[in-house]
Amino acid sequence: MRSKTSCFNGTLFRKNLSRYWPLWGLASFGGAMFPLAMLLELLHNGFRFWSPLETRQAYYTVLSYGVPVISIVYAILCAMAVWSYLYNARSVGMMHTLPVRREGLFVTNVLSGLTMMAIPYAVTGVLLVLVTMLFGGFEPVGVLVTILGVMGESLFFFGLATFCAFIVGNVFMLPALYGLLNFIAVLTDFMVNLLAQGFCFGLNSSYSGTVEWLSPVVYLMQKISPNNSYETQWVTDRLGGQRYERDVLTSVTLENGWLIAAYAAAGAALLGLAWLLYRRRRSESAGDVVAVGWMKPVFRYGCAAYSAILGGRLLYALLWESFQSGQYFTVLPMILCMIAGGAVGYYAASMLLAKTPRVFKTTWKGMLAVALGCAALCGAMKCDLFGVVRRVPAPDSVKLVNVYAAGSNYYLTPGKDDALIEKVRTLHQTIIDDKDYILGYRSRTDYDFVADTASTEMAVEDSGAQSTISNIRITYMLNSGLKVERWYRLYLTSGRMAQEGTYDYLLDQLINSPEMRQKCIRWQEEGFQLDEAWLDTRYNSGDLSSREAGLILDAVAKDAENGDWGVYDWFRVDNDADSYEIQIHFQYKLSESQFNRTYDAIQVNVREGMTETIRALKDLKLITDADLVTNRERYPWQYGKGGWDQYDQFYKQFNMSPEEYYDRYSEYPAGWFGTESDDSSAETEIAPAVDDSHSPSMSAGAEATGLGIIGGADGPTVIVTAAA
Amino acid sequence: MIEVKNVVKTFDGFAALNDATLSVPTGAVYGLVGPNGAGKSTIIRHLTGIFRQDSGTVRLGGEDVWENAALKAKIAAIPDDWYYFNSAGIGDMMRFYKGFYPNFSTERYEKLREVFELDEKRPIRRFSKGMQKQAAFWLALSAMPDYLILDEPVDGLDPVMRRQVWSLMMGDVAERGTTVLVSSHNLRELEDVCDHVGIMDHGHVLLERSLAQLQDNMVKLQVVFPDGMEDVPADLPVLHASKLGRVHTLIMRMNAQEATERLMAYSPLLVDAIPLTLEEIFIYELGGADYAVKNIVL
Repeated sequence: MRSKTSCFNGTLFRKNLSRYWPLWGLASFGGAMFPLAMLLELLHNGFRFWSPLETRQAYYTVLSYGVPVISIVYAILCAMAVWSYLYNARSVGMMHTLPVRREGLFVTNVLSGLTMMAIPYAVTGVLLVLVTMLFGGFEPVGVLVTILGVMGESLFFFGLATFCAFIVGNVFMLPALYGLLNFIAVLTDFMVNLLAQGFCFGLNSSYSGTVEWLSPVVYLMQKISPNNSYETQWVTDRLGGQRYERDVLTSVTLENGWLIAAYAAAGAALLGLAWLLYRRRRSESAGDVVAVGWMKPVFRYGCAAYSAILGGRLLYALLWESFQSGQYFTVLPMILCMIAGGAVGYYAASMLLAKTPRVFKTTWKGMLAVALGCAALCGAMKCDLFGVVRRVPAPDSVKLVNVYAAGSNYYLTPGKDDALIEKVRTLHQTIIDDKDYILGYRSRTDYDFVADTASTEMAVEDSGAQSTISNIRITYMLNSGLKVERWYRLYLTSGRMAQEGTYDYLLDQLINSPEMRQKCIRWQEEGFQLDEAWLDTRYNSGDLSSREAGLILDAVAKDAENGDWGVYDWFRVDNDADSYEIQIHFQYKLSESQFNRTYDAIQVNVREGMTETIRALKDLKLITDADLVTNRERYPWQYGKGGWDQYDQFYKQFNMSPEEYYDRYSEYPAGWFGTESDDSSAETEIAPAVDDSHSPSMSAGAEATGLGIIGGADGPTVIVTAAA
Repeated sequence: MIEVKNVVKTFDGFAALNDATLSVPTGAVYGLVGPNGAGKSTIIRHLTGIFRQDSGTVRLGGEDVWENAALKAKIAAIPDDWYYFNSAGIGDMMRFYKGFYPNFSTERYEKLREVFELDEKRPIRRFSKGMQKQAAFWLALSAMPDYLILDEPVDGLDPVMRRQVWSLMMGDVAERGTTVLVSSHNLRELEDVCDHVGIMDHGHVLLERSLAQLQDNMVKLQVVFPDGMEDVPADLPVLHASKLGRVHTLIMRMNAQEATERLMAYSPLLVDAIPLTLEEIFIYELGGADYAVKNIVL
């Protein structure tokens, strides 16, 4: 007759806690340092405390960025402690001889582990609450949400660690597998992209983030954050009685906090899976690398696959890349390198599983499969069997289209921007159709085509016609949650740009359309909430109030509509020559579910001709005429032929840089950098205002070259005369 | 009663137990002998619920052992490599065992303190191998088990302590009807304490009998044949024969009376039947199973 048995054994629970007290004791000690530090700082600062909302903000910040990192490390330590008996034949023998069922052992050890995880958080939390209560910053909602968040993340990470504990049979493999599972999605994403971009035209992303949610710590840290709302209020200074504007925190919520609950549920599910594994686990697997039979081939071929891609890519870079022509891999050497890399992983895994290096005779069939797999994968990618290169998503499958071109980002939404999306798709299809032309051009040039940023665009002379190289990135966010992202480095010519149907023409028509110019500044765009704006000029920089930002944005939009801003000249290298040293920055807050990102920022460089914007800035008294100096006027040597030679001559002549000179006198000497020379130079004298300590050779230079300096009404003017 | 029936256990294709069957009557002291790798420890790990058999049944008192906590509460086991927590002393381990074994007797534990005379606070890992074995016995006997499963139990104990330990176990058998299964290579010792013996080889229990039956089933005879008869007659069923001077020593699988009668047909000058030791039975039984120690005297 079987008697009733409990699922929990108090003796084992107490033993676990007493055996591993150094672990949770040390963690508690470390945690207690934070409230202690806070207390000391409060005492030091005369008991001034944050407001309760700021306390909540601090809790959420710790929950968003601190707890995932602490939990991922601490969970594996706790799991290694409570499940360590599984990895030693003696200890597993003793524990399984005890009169307690495996479910009793499992539940007791899980509770022990979770308790060990909770103690340091509890100690830290209680002390923090005491300190905040003592100084009037106690905030119950924040405390409750943080407790739930900590519990949820602890459950998830401990669940994952426990699941790993029942897959492996060796204590050293446990943290290795746990670490791998935590980052395997990111690693896989990176490796697949690493390989694919060497085969597929248009793939240039080293990381897509498609399955990032499978890498919990990365995902949690990216998605969960405190959502703070501020209100600008007039505050009176207590000491001076002066009133000034200040942003006051009005609400704090935890963005995407539900994700913690989802991960906690996943943690509970992982514990369930771990229990199923424990029921089937054989005690004799203690010491094995992998304790679960069906996981052995997964481990063996998984190691082979990762090693083939990573090792193969490394070997290829070492042995063949210098012989490669063009951007893409040469197939046969790549296959050989992947087979070599795969063999390393395959045999290493086989040796670990068999616990002997004598595996070559018995595992050759598997190695053959690995080799065939490598060849098949390379062949499939080369022939685009998966249709990656040719893929242009259908309009009805798209949730959002993001185009990055000409240094700007554009967001297009189906329903509202259908015509523009269709233009983007047509452009994309044309680029794919012209693949051979683009690759053919590339193979004839020596440019490094690693497309990293559009700012590397350059104009080149090509048989007299204007030409340039420009990057474009098209990203389709699909309704399925997947993302299709393509980068192209395009060769553009003025001839083709005038020719209808070419990608050059389509790109120009798209980017320089009035609709896209408005999109460029997100004017009256749905989903873009202006979060911050600030202005940088040569002499000042400062935040803009929401009223100022709105007025300026409207003015820029009018300029865009009039064609005074946002028209991109593909072939002009000195695109910023007409710009003033005035930049307006707008930062928008986005709805993550819609745009897959939370912030977006644009910069508007104010340039000549932006009448509406300049007027608005002047009306708001943010700039004066003194700010309206273009880059060409300010840095003329950068835009004229032989400018840098003049720059060097100037330095030798005046013993100061032109920038320094301009800063002092707000102009350049006549005759320099394209300024007209004054013929009345016969009358010369040493300008008294020039500080010789900064330009000791000015007069000497003048003597040697016959150069004189004339004092003018507005300050000294240097006039170059003919050299003696 | 301990019953193991047709148990098969394989490790990565290797059959550690191959249709193993044994039976230990309640209150018996059962000696499980066999060469290295025969499967003795494997069968013991099945009896203590560590391993789960691929097929067959492992029962104690009519109940399956696997995941039977109530039954395991009546079993105390001392493996050849007893595990204790790294920093634990005997006192710590006593409290641990007490939390699991409902019949654990503190009173007995106190009484046994006089027998074992070990420092309870000293970490067990600092004990010698023999002292660790003593600690294991101390705790196992304090658990007041109905079944004692011992794997090489007295290995490392000095002769005095061996005698003490066996004496304690025999006392339990006599007073409480404890069933003891013990595996050992020390056949001379088993001979003194076991009333039943099972011999294992290659994962299979070759035979199991009471010691009396075993000794009655095989006989060692010293024979001197008449002049002119140098060799042992070929028709005699001899398991092993050796000769020193004119004295032949014959091992025959039959009882002493039958063997003497068979030899009398050759008018021997001398026939003397000597009981076999367990060691000899072990060697000659396994010799039949192609065990390569036929001529090794342990």
